Amino acid sequence: MKEEVKVLLVDDEKLVLRSVEKSLVRAGFDVEAVGDVTTALALFKETIASDTPFDIAVLDLNMPNFEGEVDPTAGLQLLSKLLEAQPGFPVIVLTAFDEVERAKEAVRRGARAYFVKGREADLIALIERIIQD
Amino acid sequence: MDTPTLAERRAALLHAGALVSRSITSILDPDVLLHRTVDIICTAFGFYYAGVFLLDETGEWAVLHAGRGEAGAAMVAEGHKLRVGGHSMVGAATARNKAVIALDVGDEPTHFKNQYLPLTRSEMALPLSIGDKVIGALTVQSVEEAAFTEDDITALQGMADQLAVAIQNARLYSENARLLAQATRRARLLMAAADVGKGVTSILDLDELLHKMVDIICDAYGFYYAGVFLLDETGEWAVLRAGRGEAGAAMVAEGHKLQVGGQSMIGAAIAQRHARIALDVGAEAVFFKNPHLPMTRSEMALPLVVGDEVIGAVTVQSEQEAAFTDEDISSLQAMADQLAVALHNAHLLRALEIAHAELVRTKTFEAVATATTEAIHWIGNKALPISVSVQRLREDVARLSGVDPEIVESMQEDLTLIEASARLIMQVKEHLIGPAREYIPAPVMIEDVVKDTVRVMGIVPEVIHFTVTPDLPLAVADPTQLSRAFRYVLQNALEATEDCAAPCIDVEIDLVEEKGVRYVVTRIGDNGPGVDEANLDKIWVSFYTTRGAKHAGLGLPACLQILKQIDGKAQAYRRPEGGMVFELYVPVHTGSAAQGPANLPAGKRYLLVDDDDVWSRFVEQTLSAAQNTVTRVADAGTVEDFAVFDVIVVDDVLAATDSLAALQRIARAGATARTLVVASSVRVERMMDLLRFGVRDVLPKPYTPVGLAKLTL
Repeated sequence: MKEEVKVLLVDDEKLVLRSVEKSLVRAGFDVEAVGDVTTALALFKETIASDTPFDIAVLDLNMPNFEGEVDPTAGLQLLSKLLEAQPGFPVIVLTAFDEVERAKEAVRRGARAYFVKGREADLIALIERIIQD
Repeated sequence: MDTPTLAERRAALLHAGALVSRSITSILDPDVLLHRTVDIICTAFGFYYAGVFLLDETGEWAVLHAGRGEAGAAMVAEGHKLRVGGHSMVGAATARNKAVIALDVGDEPTHFKNQYLPLTRSEMALPLSIGDKVIGALTVQSVEEAAFTEDDITALQGMADQLAVAIQNARLYSENARLLAQATRRARLLMAAADVGKGVTSILDLDELLHKMVDIICDAYGFYYAGVFLLDETGEWAVLRAGRGEAGAAMVAEGHKLQVGGQSMIGAAIAQRHARIALDVGAEAVFFKNPHLPMTRSEMALPLVVGDEVIGAVTVQSEQEAAFTDEDISSLQAMADQLAVALHNAHLLRALEIAHAELVRTKTFEAVATATTEAIHWIGNKALPISVSVQRLREDVARLSGVDPEIVESMQEDLTLIEASARLIMQVKEHLIGPAREYIPAPVMIEDVVKDTVRVMGIVPEVIHFTVTPDLPLAVADPTQLSRAFRYVLQNALEATEDCAAPCIDVEIDLVEEKGVRYVVTRIGDNGPGVDEANLDKIWVSFYTTRGAKHAGLGLPACLQILKQIDGKAQAYRRPEGGMVFELYVPVHTGSAAQGPANLPAGKRYLLVDDDDVWSRFVEQTLSAAQNTVTRVADAGTVEDFAVFDVIVVDDVLAATDSLAALQRIARAGATARTLVVASSVRVERMMDLLRFGVRDVLPKPYTPVGLAKLTL
């Protein structure tokens, strides 16, 4: 099952992006790692109608927004656009901030889960559970 | 002695008239004038007695002011007076404004038989008048019958008229002198007021202003002592801030203070907010006998009032009884009012300076904190992958084959070192950024937050003991941040007592009031070794630690930052019996506990999965009062049928079990959609764990009826 799961991973922090990508790839996921929201949205839209659409997206919350400005809600904005393009698409919001209200906001906007960075092992289990659901 | 001839007699009368005229024009003191006049009359005319009566203020009595010889002196000393219109010749003369002459007093119906003048045979009473206005009378008496000739009467009436004018002039002179003195004094007081006015606007140093004030009062009014008291911070004591002379300096140096409302005029003036004046301090009930000021006979205490606020009082003291005129009192009170405004302005200026300094400090701190937060966030993000990378390396190392075991062991050791360093970096990041995270102040039950924190930390009941004042009010804080603050201090206590044979942590929750602000204070004491007195002030400084390199020294500074964020405070001191006490002050919630109508649901059946504690009792009482049915269980395992409940509320922190176990059971019963989880401190990861069970929501614990209204579906 894992070989077939295609993950869109978005984070502007290159070290984190590469680290999470490595963990997911090791776990057997097919990962597209992208460093900005504009490229991520374009790639997502490109693949919707293709033979290899994304199965899930993992988005950082705090990164430059579509205008290129650092914005703690950039991940939420991308989340909304992904769901606009494909309603019901599973998204996990990933951030270093341990903030409850922001987590609830992500869930209210349609995210399946909210996850604190740095616990990739738990992230893998979470992705597997969401995909299975 | 030969009888003088008519010519001689007339010459004597002229001479007497001239002497009286000279006296009248040269003597300005009325008493001296009157005595000289009676002497001249008796000497020149050879009369036995002469006296001058003046009408008193009522106009009803003629009072003797001067009298010839010992008889006259005795009568003046006695205050001899005769009623105007009464049974005496003086009384008749003053009433009628007409001379009354008795050539034989035995025949005179109005003659007053005077014991001091038993030899009088003839008497003449001449009115002293200016126009129609009678001001007194001149009495002339002789031991001879029919002693007065027409010439005598004419000459004496002339003298009496002259004397009346002279008395009037002398009186006017005295009045002028009095008015002049009054004007001079007023000018001096005005100058003093101007000096005070100038002082209060030009002297910025408060002590200098107060000393100047007491000097001006003493110099301008001629009082021997003045002092200024200001209320201390408690408002219970008036402390002397400036006093005249050596006595004042000595008292200021001694820290002389008087209790507000106590047995002193200053204390009474401040408590009653109005001037207290003792014209004779011996008769004053609240007079404080001051050993530095033994000569005081009169004292005035003037409150320093600004609006509704009393900020102190001025004392003015004199060595004389009844030293204060109405004018003194009103002008000194005006000066005190001016001083009070100046002091108030000085306080406002000082407060403004402090506020400005605080603003600059806060802004600087904010800028530094923002920069630090961003830097730490940046560092944290860079360091974030380290532990995951280490984990991957461990997996890779474990799969290596054909490698020297010593090299593998060394690699593992290096990985452990890297991991420990990464963990410390993440810990520093958490301490520094944590307090700056979401801050949503709300009414909280401190007891509930503390006890939940203790349970989450896994501190066993054998180690920790609680003493909680009953019926504590709600405090105001972000409960998650507050829990973090308690956790830092409790962790500190745990580590301090880890080498103790019988570790003991005492938690006392109490209500205190400081400077009019009420706080719920949590005192966390431990029986560890404590911190040296010399290092006590350093424990709140970032990166200071007494516990070695594995500690970042950021927990207590983070705790302090959290409390300052909510206008609370933290302090620490050594316990006399050993160990430390940390006090965390959280301001009492000042709004209405209900914060508006609660709109609680009614007629619902609630299942509350919680221990019997302060919060669950509040929930049971509040919801039951709103006509709901509340069933509380500490263990969800005891519930046979979840379907009978409309709403299930689970406290995330339970004493005997994990709430996840309760949720599993609820989930098996298919009731999670009707389940709400509440937590005094909500963390994202925990929330995701709870939401995984499909519960309706995870909410911060409500501590007010309005908050409880949200516990519905």
